[in-house]
Amino acid sequence: MRRSTAAAVGTLTGAALIVGVRLSVSAPVVTAAPAAVDLDGSGAGGDPSPSKSASKKKEPTKKPTSAATSDAGAAGGGSGPADGTFKGKGVTNPYGTVQVSIKIEGGKITAVGATYPLTGESATINPAAIPKLKQETLTKQSAEIDAVSGATFTSKSYVESLQAALDAAGA
Amino acid sequence: MGTVVSIDLADQLPAADLTKLVEQTCAWLHEVDARFSTYQESSEVCRFRSGKLTLDQCSPDMRHVLEACADLWRATDGYFDANATGRLDPSGYVKGWSIEVASARLAAAGSVNHCLNAGGDIRMRGKNAEGKPWRVGIRHPWEAEKLSWVLAVSEGAVATSGTYERGDHVFNPRTGKPARGLRSVTVVGPDLALADAYATAGLAMGEAGIGWLAKLSAQGYQSAVVTDDGRAFSSAGLPAAV
Repeated sequence: MRRSTAAAVGTLTGAALIVGVRLSVSAPVVTAAPAAVDLDGSGAGGDPSPSKSASKKKEPTKKPTSAATSDAGAAGGGSGPADGTFKGKGVTNPYGTVQVSIKIEGGKITAVGATYPLTGESATINPAAIPKLKQETLTKQSAEIDAVSGATFTSKSYVESLQAALDAAGA
Repeated sequence: MGTVVSIDLADQLPAADLTKLVEQTCAWLHEVDARFSTYQESSEVCRFRSGKLTLDQCSPDMRHVLEACADLWRATDGYFDANATGRLDPSGYVKGWSIEVASARLAAAGSVNHCLNAGGDIRMRGKNAEGKPWRVGIRHPWEAEKLSWVLAVSEGAVATSGTYERGDHVFNPRTGKPARGLRSVTVVGPDLALADAYATAGLAMGEAGIGWLAKLSAQGYQSAVVTDDGRAFSSAGLPAAV
């Protein structure tokens, strides 16, 4: 179990890296979208100034989560953003449409998600479309074979190899 | 080349013909060795890299090998590097290519059922002596007398690179350090020279090689990988024997 978990992480990391590279044009969207959602939340709170600064989407160095939480604090007044799941505006880039969503519980963002394009050219960046080697159990077999493939053996190690035994049997 | 080549001809031909075919194959391999040996100062590759021969003076075979190494350097993102040690050493390509050529010559001379194994890198055609696809075992990376996969192949090549046999002899050309992360990489496909180079490159990449090798299946090259910590991976098209 432990091993298969590690493999899944490795594969996902690899896929995420590819998404990151190919989707770099859409990176600002991720910071912009919570701001757009925050606009809704603060609109309910009735305080326009923090929402305006937030909607300028130019605080990309902060993580969306912390930025939005601090905005909620600034809005103050006890109300804060309403609970629920909010979706940002879908933004289209050369690879398709990306839409970011956040989930707010108790005035705080508890989850951030995004939908990525699944069609057309974007198929190449969809993790599911990236070919993978499937993980399996390494087994030990001894079967009838004609030849053995292994890392280059020298003439010396050949003498002790399974291939040498096969050759001797066939000779 | 410092390796052993096993020649298995399964054709129903007169013994004299088979002997002649084996002799011709051996003559070709010795010719390759004399031309491309990096240990003999008189070899063409040594004279070329010391500047005694210009590219124009090289044989067509030599020029082909140099061109193929350059192509593979690009195709593998620099991980297959005939100059990795600081001086030209195309042995990593020459071994697979010489067997590929030997197999083509055998087929042209009438042997359409054979299996050539050069130090674990194998090219086969047709069927084995029992009239079935050749069965190729992939050596278990920890237990030399065991196999980790068994493949059934009629036409094509199987090449394996690993860190278990000669220790740290595969280097990551980006870092200059021994390759880490993968213990064994096997590539199965139409051309042994390419399969061998891809296996070496994948091993040099380390764990990132798993993703890189997966993409080769679109070009007809399947793969099977074992990591340093014993996890095993294979591509969906690997011709595993039942």
